[in-house]
Amino acid sequence: MREAVAGRYIGQRVRRVEDQRLLTGRGSFVADVEPEGTVHAAFVRSPFANANIVSIDHSVASRAKGVVAIYTGAEICLLTNPFIPFSNLPGQFTPPFWALAVDRVRFVGDPVAVVLAYSRALAEDAAELVEIEYQELTPVVSIDDALRTDSEPIWPAAGSNILYEAADQFGEVDEAFRKADRVFTETFTSHRLSNQPLETRGCVAEVDPESDEVVFHAATQAGHALRWTLAAVTARQSAVKSIRALAGNRGRLKAFARGAKAALAGTGDQLKKADSSGTIHQIRKDPRTLLYLGRSFLGTLSAERFPRVVAKDIGGGFGSKGPVSREDAVILAVAMELNRSVKWIEDRVENLTDGGQARDERLTISFAVQDDGTILGMKANLVMNQGAYPGVPFNCGLFSRIMKVMLPGTYRIDAFRLDTTVVASNKGRYIPYRGPWANETWARERMLDVVARELGMSATQLRLKNMYHPSELPAKMITGPTLDPTMTAATTLQRAIELAEPAAFAAKQEDARSRGRLLGIGFATYHEAAPGPPDYTDAVTPGVGALLAEKSEISLEADGTVTIRTQQMPHGQSHETTYAQVAADQLGVPMEQVRLVWGDTKNTPFGIMGTGGSRGGPIGGGAVQFSSRALRTKILDQAADLLEANVNDLEIVDGNIHVRGVPAKGKSFAEVAAAAASAGGGIGDEPAITAEFTYNGPPQGGWACATHVCWVEIDPDTGFVTIPRYLVVEDCGEMINPAIVEGQVRGGVAQGIGAVLYEKTNYDEFGNLQSSTYMDYLMPTAMEIPEIELHHLETPSEVEANYRGVGEGGAIGAPPALTNAIENALAHLGVRITEQHLPPHRILELTGVIKPNVASR
Amino acid sequence: MNSPSATATQSAMGSLHSPIDGTATIELEVNGVGVTRRVNARLSLADFLRERLDLTGTHLGCEHGVCGACTVVLNDEAVRSCLILAVQADGSRITTIEGLAETDHDGQIISIHPIQRAMQEAHGFQCAFCAPGFLMTALCFLERNPAPTRAQIREEISGNLCRCTGYQSIIAGVETAVEIMAADRREGAQDA
Ligand code: FES
Ligand code: FES
Repeated sequence: MREAVAGRYIGQRVRRVEDQRLLTGRGSFVADVEPEGTVHAAFVRSPFANANIVSIDHSVASRAKGVVAIYTGAEICLLTNPFIPFSNLPGQFTPPFWALAVDRVRFVGDPVAVVLAYSRALAEDAAELVEIEYQELTPVVSIDDALRTDSEPIWPAAGSNILYEAADQFGEVDEAFRKADRVFTETFTSHRLSNQPLETRGCVAEVDPESDEVVFHAATQAGHALRWTLAAVTARQSAVKSIRALAGNRGRLKAFARGAKAALAGTGDQLKKADSSGTIHQIRKDPRTLLYLGRSFLGTLSAERFPRVVAKDIGGGFGSKGPVSREDAVILAVAMELNRSVKWIEDRVENLTDGGQARDERLTISFAVQDDGTILGMKANLVMNQGAYPGVPFNCGLFSRIMKVMLPGTYRIDAFRLDTTVVASNKGRYIPYRGPWANETWARERMLDVVARELGMSATQLRLKNMYHPSELPAKMITGPTLDPTMTAATTLQRAIELAEPAAFAAKQEDARSRGRLLGIGFATYHEAAPGPPDYTDAVTPGVGALLAEKSEISLEADGTVTIRTQQMPHGQSHETTYAQVAADQLGVPMEQVRLVWGDTKNTPFGIMGTGGSRGGPIGGGAVQFSSRALRTKILDQAADLLEANVNDLEIVDGNIHVRGVPAKGKSFAEVAAAAASAGGGIGDEPAITAEFTYNGPPQGGWACATHVCWVEIDPDTGFVTIPRYLVVEDCGEMINPAIVEGQVRGGVAQGIGAVLYEKTNYDEFGNLQSSTYMDYLMPTAMEIPEIELHHLETPSEVEANYRGVGEGGAIGAPPALTNAIENALAHLGVRITEQHLPPHRILELTGVIKPNVASR
Repeated sequence: MNSPSATATQSAMGSLHSPIDGTATIELEVNGVGVTRRVNARLSLADFLRERLDLTGTHLGCEHGVCGACTVVLNDEAVRSCLILAVQADGSRITTIEGLAETDHDGQIISIHPIQRAMQEAHGFQCAFCAPGFLMTALCFLERNPAPTRAQIREEISGNLCRCTGYQSIIAGVETAVEIMAADRREGAQDA
């Protein structure tokens, strides 16, 4: 049973600590960093989607004003190791690739050369003078292009443009489909879009010629992963040299072994579950992989200089700042080579081109159902378009596995089959975007509406009939994970129905139709792993869960304040506020006494994930809660000595430690700190008492559930969709700070609405990017995003610190709720929505007002 | 150090602010302080503020006039500093986010502006990269229209992009600012 917490801060709409600096212009973002003597980088990028590089002539550019140096792919090959695949699934091929294009470009925007000059403007001037001759090849753009057997492989070692195929089956699928009264099948296509944080990517490699450390300032969601990846890519030297260096530096080797041991501590059994056949397959297909792996590994062990990653304020990411950028490796490598600081701040055109793109998937779904609406089985076929270069460290393979696990949702589906294909194309990099599995929810929730309509049932009736209800718990998804023991998505749907009154709306809709107005309503219900129970991670990638634990270090400083160190990388999620709330409640001190340290790999605990995967609240926050508890115990022990009292008689109120009921004779945290410091022989500036806790999430639960309801009105003449009402019923259990939860949910919904009505990363048939500015990539403004009504259910949990992430759900629920509403509004016209992007002209095409145009890809 | 055949060319100019395409001297007032600087004709006002005056609170989100992150106040009007050249700001009065709070001689904040207080109360922002632009925009239109309707607020801030919040909290923040500023005015009137 969980210990009752005082709850002074947890659950309160506490004001954000971050705002004191961010609202007064005193934040520090990567673009604000500029060490003395910095030179600025601009990249020369490919204008073609698929081409061989015939020649590069930068003689004129090199003589341009202010130019310090120019590097091309040929030189980067000598300075770095290629990026090598990190997370390969059995049978998957992930091409190794260089930080700059070497002899071939693979998408519009592929970086070919980097120009360094005394200012960004001068670097850009010179970049225009670099002469490159290309020989164009036939571009592979769409999923269909890539699947064509005669399409030339973008990565020759792969043998085709299919990089991964898998078939997964759970239960008796064929039998379910044989037995069913009806089978419905539909194919859903989602367009490519882009995360678009308002701050672009960027980095500054700060070189101190005297130091063996390069400070790499970055806007990153995962500082430690960035550090080690960059170390591996930039540690370029011959194996012989590495071995010699190692022999001469036993200390480094020992430190490395210690670090690896700590990182892997206690994970042996777990790791045995991991399947290494992917890596073996990879090496067979491209034997150079082994050479690159060995060279990177030895180089990393023995490199003369090592990056230390530092991030301060970060202007949003939504997944895009988790992957390591090729540009990052270029900047670090050339800074070390030139022995001077180099800065690169991406511009928006680059960000829309090469800052990462997402979704771009096709899902065919079949449901086997009885006439009464009972679902017997589900089949799905998923194709993902990974673009040219695989994401590092995670590529489409991993996200396809999340989709595999999540596709059945919280419906009772006893038979399920998924066929998966990942293809390469001449488009930008596929990266995770807020709920990287979101299209499984979109396609399933869309398909349920299709089935309901065909069966003549209401969309909510069909859902409720097939969902797990609280009385049926405990239950497991057929794909493996155990559902939450108390919380269900069905409860959110039931509440949403009460609030939305769909039956009353139907009458209103009829009436409106008779007067030529098009109104619609759409529902979408889902649960999300936020972060999910342990068997969820095991179902996605067996064995890997063990590596994801997070450590929180906490210390009582000499002055009585408390410092928490986390591997989390806040970039809008307000960790400084929520973690201080959690720790302050445990310790019994005012929040102002607690400070969060993050972002610097030198003084934060190691962690692979950084901030991502809805883990900041549950895992990072849980680690803070338990480490604070451990610190509290130590503080009380120290205080008991000081007060000559039994520790069990002590309590802490407002930072005053005293025998219960005798506050006047209390000790402050500063007094306890002083006593601990002198007892420990400290000189007064190091922490007086420290504690830590490593946490890998709750033993059960870890799901967040929600139902979104969207109302639309569509103008029949213009195809313009407006959203008069939008509501979310959301259950993330206990909330640390409801205002922050609400911000996360609303922000996600806004991105989901943008995805459907406005945003599209648009490539033409030749692979030319048509949306490289905000004039073409339409970001929703305050005029487009409606007010979003929120209702929290807060189902309690028996498990302590069972906080759930809420950052991703908004973006997952909005596309199905909105597209379902649009189809509902147009149903009487015979319209079926099978695509996700529905700008006005597309609505008019669907309603027959205008003739369909050749769809862009 | 291993040394591949990278082309390294030491420039004849050698300095960040070398005149390459004509320069001009500008004189303006920024956050109440007079400044005189010699600038390249092509330097944007945003880069001038950020790089020459170290006022990095003004952010660049798109550099093509759409996102509004770079908004500053120029002679009582909200402008996009990425679209204005520093030379065009010659003789003007500029307020940036750094100038919104009241500070002492060392730049320490004495009291924050009601808009800042309101945004904090309303949990207006998340990453807050967009915040400086929204605050400067709001500052100007509340000056013109101290009692806006919600629809007016929505419209007035629609030239600024925020990717994190979905705008509702920012609108709530502006509404809170309206209340705080009205209360301050009432108090001011009573004191007088
Ligand atoms: S940076 Fe000026 S409008 Fe976007
Ligand atoms: S708060 Fe992040 S862009 Fe507005």
